[in-house]
Amino acid sequence: MEKRLIKKDALAGIAKKMADKFLVWAPVKKEDNVLFEPLQKNAEPNFAYLNSKNAPKNVFFPHTETMMKYTRTPKGMVFSTEENKAAESVLFGVRPCDAHSFVLLDKLFDQEKYKDGYYITKRQNTTVISLACVKPPYASCFCTSVDGEPVSSDGADILITDIGSDCLVEFITTKGEKLASYFGDAKADAAADAKKNEIAAKAKEAIKSKIPAHEIKPILDKNFDNPFWNTIYGKCLACGTCTYMCPTCHCFDISDEVKGSDGVRLRSWDSCMFPMFTKETSGHNPRTSQKERWRQRAMHKFKYYVDMFNCIACVGCGRCVMSCPVNLDIRKVVEDISKL
Amino acid sequence: MQNPYIPYPVVVDKIITEVDTKDIKTFRFKFVNPEDEQKYAYIPGQFGELSIFGKGESPIGIASSPTQKGYVEFTVQKAGVVTTALHEMEEGTLMGIRGPLGNSWPLDFLAGKNIVIVGGGFAFTTLRSLINYMLFEDNRKRFGNITVIYGARNPGLLLYKDELVEWGKRTDINLNVTVDKGDATWKGREGFVPTVCKEVAPSKENAVAVICGPPIMIRFTLPVFFDLGFSKENIITSLEMRMKCGIGKCGRCNVGSKYVCKDGPVFSLAELDKLTPEY
Ligand SMILES: Cc1cc2nc3c(=O)[nH]c(=O)nc-3n(C[C@H](O)[C@H](O)[C@H](O)COP(=O)(O)OP(=O)(O)OC[C@H]3O[C@@H](n4cnc5c(N)ncnc54)[C@H](O)[C@@H]3O)c2cc1C
Ligand code: SF4
Ligand code: SF4
Ligand code: FES
Repeated sequence: MEKRLIKKDALAGIAKKMADKFLVWAPVKKEDNVLFEPLQKNAEPNFAYLNSKNAPKNVFFPHTETMMKYTRTPKGMVFSTEENKAAESVLFGVRPCDAHSFVLLDKLFDQEKYKDGYYITKRQNTTVISLACVKPPYASCFCTSVDGEPVSSDGADILITDIGSDCLVEFITTKGEKLASYFGDAKADAAADAKKNEIAAKAKEAIKSKIPAHEIKPILDKNFDNPFWNTIYGKCLACGTCTYMCPTCHCFDISDEVKGSDGVRLRSWDSCMFPMFTKETSGHNPRTSQKERWRQRAMHKFKYYVDMFNCIACVGCGRCVMSCPVNLDIRKVVEDISKL
Repeated sequence: MQNPYIPYPVVVDKIITEVDTKDIKTFRFKFVNPEDEQKYAYIPGQFGELSIFGKGESPIGIASSPTQKGYVEFTVQKAGVVTTALHEMEEGTLMGIRGPLGNSWPLDFLAGKNIVIVGGGFAFTTLRSLINYMLFEDNRKRFGNITVIYGARNPGLLLYKDELVEWGKRTDINLNVTVDKGDATWKGREGFVPTVCKEVAPSKENAVAVICGPPIMIRFTLPVFFDLGFSKENIITSLEMRMKCGIGKCGRCNVGSKYVCKDGPVFSLAELDKLTPEY
């Protein structure tokens, strides 16, 4: 597909111009963090960022989302379906690991039998523009161990790579190509391509954190009852930060909220790290302690998801590693499992 | 595309209080839009999400059989928020049901075999659906002998009392109803379900056992069937897990590489052996 060159400082202008027509999600500085937010008029996107504090999954799977509305009548509640409408959107400048996470989430939300319209409509109406990591942002990045690369178009409709003098813009899908007019008319030459490949190889080299993520699957198959699981959870506070930050965690709760005679049914993020997650009305809880919950998180990412969808449910973004208040490190857990 | 999170509107057509303690009731729903009944075509063993706006949803097994047209029934024990709100409802109230959800009793696998049904307590509901399905005249010849062993703590706690009487009169079903302890008027069998299973001693020849009940009953009943020579492939049960979405998305009922809501709730013991024991 087409490739073009743009000036490095043109990115913000392009994003703002797109925002005239589309809902543009871009990295915006908020206090000390960078977050993906709808780009407001006069707001400056920040493309010199490392990675966003939160995963951008909220673009397709908001933290809280209305599923339907209802009204009280004398005979009971009468409901109205929330229409699955999503504005034409652009997700501008996500890191390749996060774009990879969308491919993983698609497998769950967009299955043959049950389709999750809330996720799917937003996903279909959004063009994903990835911004390659020419320099891996954090020491805890380990995308190359989990089928990713710092310069990768996986999950992206357009990939932008800083090649020094200019940025190389690659249109990966026809959806991406539809936005080509925003990127000027300077065609990229073979030299730009070569430069990009060189940068990509270097960036890949620069990822020093490596974990045996693929090797542990057969070990997990056999070690559900290994005493090893007793050794990792002791410090865990069950705060759920790791799952909240994680681009691939997708568990949610469904709840009702009523005000006067009107109500809504909402879904909101939930976490397998919470004791109540599996607790039944009878009091029975299949996962009695944080040990079982930590095992669930590790198993789900490195075994169950592989069994179900043939891919690991971790993109190596390192968010859980950096955010855990008691420094529990999934990389160490994977490392230790590989030695069982 | 039908949004699987949106319930079908139904009206509570009939409420039957099943037990003396009054905390188990059968709710019969009729669809507000008659065409929805077609869309809700179900198989015994499946479940639905009963949806009460402002309260939430509960997964409940379908207690009626698809051979009963015009309505769908669920038998519900009063437990927490949603089930209590349901118990307080009156006939004529509007609410919602989602589904049908989950796999089902494996009808094709059961066809041509002798069927042994073992139920304890109020987990009898989807077994009742299966029994009524098999006894339906167009279906009866597809199945071999039908043996039912059903127990409750006392006579007042037996569900579907009228139906039990009807089934008892038939010659094409071997019905064994038992209570842990009878009362002054009880003339039937006394004894725990596992003991009665031992006495009835159903043959393993060309037979499948379908077993549902409280964990303690299951624990003592399984060895009886192993002793009788039933293989794990030929013992089938239904699991319960906390659920929300019912369609394999919210992650709540994930056990090993399965979602109980979508891949279950019905599993053979052989299948359960392959699952992590986290239910
Ligand atoms: C496949 C299946 C079939 C079932 N069939 C029946 C039946 O035929 N009759 C019956 O009385 N009960 C049945 N149950 C159990 C029933 O779902 C729970 O008792 C009920 O959800 C409790 O909800 P509540 O709102 O009253 O309680 P609360 O404690 O207020 O529950 C809050 C929420 O937690 C979830 N939840 C809590 N306990 C359970 C549980 N044991 N199973 C699933 N979700 C739970 C529900 O989403 C519920 O809305 C079944 C459960 C499953 C999974
Ligand atoms: S962030 Fe750390 S402490 Fe919090 S739930 Fe996750 S592992 Fe436990
Ligand atoms: S498990 Fe941790 S490193 Fe892996 S994708 Fe989730 S937050 Fe990122
Ligand atoms: S109930 Fe949501 S995944 Fe099973």
